Amino acid sequence: MGELSKDKIKKGLEVFANQKDSKLHAHLNACVHCGLCAESCIYYNAMPDEKFVPAKKVDLVASVYRRYKTLTGKTIPGLVGARKLDEATVNEMVDLLYGACTMCGRCNTHCSIGIDISFVVRTGRKLLTNMGYAPDALQSTINSALETGNNMGISETDFIETLEWLQEDLQMEVGNNAAKIPINETGKEVLYTLNPREPKFFPLSISAMAKIFYAANESWTISTKMYDVTNYAYYTGNEVESQIIVNRLFDEMQNLGAKKCVLAECGHGSRAFRWEGPNVIGKSYPFEVLTSVELIAGYIRDGRIKLDPEKIKDLVTIHDPCNLARSGGIVEEQRYIIKNAVTNFTEMTPSGIENLCCGGGGGQLAMSEYNERRIKIARIKAEQIQKTGAKIVATPCHNCVDQLTQINSTYKLGIQIKTIAEIVADALIID
Amino acid sequence: MEWYQWLAIACLAVDIAGLIIHLTRLISLGKPKDLSHQKGDIVPSLMYAFSGAMSPTRKESAFLHIPTYIAGIFYHLGTFVSIFVFFFFLAQIAINEPIAQFIAGFLAIAVLCGFGILIKRMVIKRLRTLSNPDDYISNLLVTFFQLLTAAVLLHENWQPAYYIIVSILLVYIPLGKLKHAVYFFAARYHLGYFYGWRGVWPPKKI
Repeated sequence: MGELSKDKIKKGLEVFANQKDSKLHAHLNACVHCGLCAESCIYYNAMPDEKFVPAKKVDLVASVYRRYKTLTGKTIPGLVGARKLDEATVNEMVDLLYGACTMCGRCNTHCSIGIDISFVVRTGRKLLTNMGYAPDALQSTINSALETGNNMGISETDFIETLEWLQEDLQMEVGNNAAKIPINETGKEVLYTLNPREPKFFPLSISAMAKIFYAANESWTISTKMYDVTNYAYYTGNEVESQIIVNRLFDEMQNLGAKKCVLAECGHGSRAFRWEGPNVIGKSYPFEVLTSVELIAGYIRDGRIKLDPEKIKDLVTIHDPCNLARSGGIVEEQRYIIKNAVTNFTEMTPSGIENLCCGGGGGQLAMSEYNERRIKIARIKAEQIQKTGAKIVATPCHNCVDQLTQINSTYKLGIQIKTIAEIVADALIID
Repeated sequence: MEWYQWLAIACLAVDIAGLIIHLTRLISLGKPKDLSHQKGDIVPSLMYAFSGAMSPTRKESAFLHIPTYIAGIFYHLGTFVSIFVFFFFLAQIAINEPIAQFIAGFLAIAVLCGFGILIKRMVIKRLRTLSNPDDYISNLLVTFFQLLTAAVLLHENWQPAYYIIVSILLVYIPLGKLKHAVYFFAARYHLGYFYGWRGVWPPKKI
């Protein structure tokens, strides 16, 4: 199999050198190859091939680490399964770390040792990215965000036009010409971000949130320069590109002087900006960051909005986005909202931090080369939804909405998929 | 003391030095650093990471694999008991016959569990493909360590073989996967810290 240049290998191995704490070192040395994580992985459950066992993915990264960074691996590589970083290793890593993992983190909580497997997978992706092996489709999504300010490549003019007609719609719906979608206003309480899929494909979800802000009498604004909550560079582990994207939103918060940055319903976007962002740019935020789900739950709790659950009588269930629930601790809020907004609610089994990934995370939706696998693993989510008997699946993540929409069509579920804001907007009582 | 006992003591020194190197590396790399705004509590999460999160009621790797889980528990207990007995031997503290027989009986179960886990690794394809020589060697060394501990407790003439296996095991621990004796705690600590910081663990009832 082909050798790689020394320079390329050196670039890849940099991921093991630049550690800010002992986390990576601990996780790379801890796996005992018990393989008991297999059943916690949607890939393995949908396609029981040993290559999909999470421990195999950890071992791919750890075996390279052992080969170049441990005494035993350097001297007797065969003894500890230490692998050379060559074309064969790289191809296998690309296939399994990019193409067979949504980084949902379910295996982390069930690992017999306690290895943060999704963190190790991300480290492996970072290694590949450093060497120039990030999948083209995923990289082009990042390039679009870097070049245009949003991953859909929407021009500022088009975005403003969209917001203007959404504002007209809002005014008609609430019967008040003073109702606004405020753009680029300074000194507001809230700067609201969006997933660019909203202006591009789902503008009604912007309307829904605008209606909620109107009902809550919120002081808010949207930036037309930087509104993209997503950060796909998180999935390739490209720190430089990720830093640019985080800094843009950070700077826009400073420019507009908003007090709170409210993240749209986007699992990975929330994770990338709220949790990883400060570490990527090397400083804490001087402002509050929260998700729209937490904000809406607060509105209901504080009596700032009123809902009529009788407006939605169909059985509703919740799909918890992995990045929001398992990696962000947001579990109770969406339940509190939905229980206040609808008459009939049922849980999926399992749910909350135990929920099963829809299969669209980890950048899978952006990597068309793995579409077939993505749809295959989705069978598990389809069956989970079917068992609930729900007619509506609510999920606070546009990425999950996309994947669930494809699941709905492929597995003929006959359900509606809605964001939390859309459900709340439908149940809103406008005085 | 016999030459094989001195050998074991020398190897114990190598083992401790090796583990100290691993521990020092972990400590020098430092504690978790996170610049995001903390949402949850670290201490309850760490406590959960080392207790509830490992219980067979919560962990799929346990409740979906009950026979392996139980075998693993016995196997690890057998290792801890064998280490304990090793220090008794080194300190030349006599263990009375009924206790020695009881321990040997317990170790016999642990040894069966160890061999069971080894056979599982050899037979099940997904484990076989995941394994490297270190996985087999580590299992065999620990299982023979337990077996010979039981043998020595019953018959002193097993001592040379026992101390030779102990010596090999001690030198091997810092080199192969048995070093998870150190890294297990570090990995669980990091996982507990991560989930605690973000308010994920301990899980709330929904």
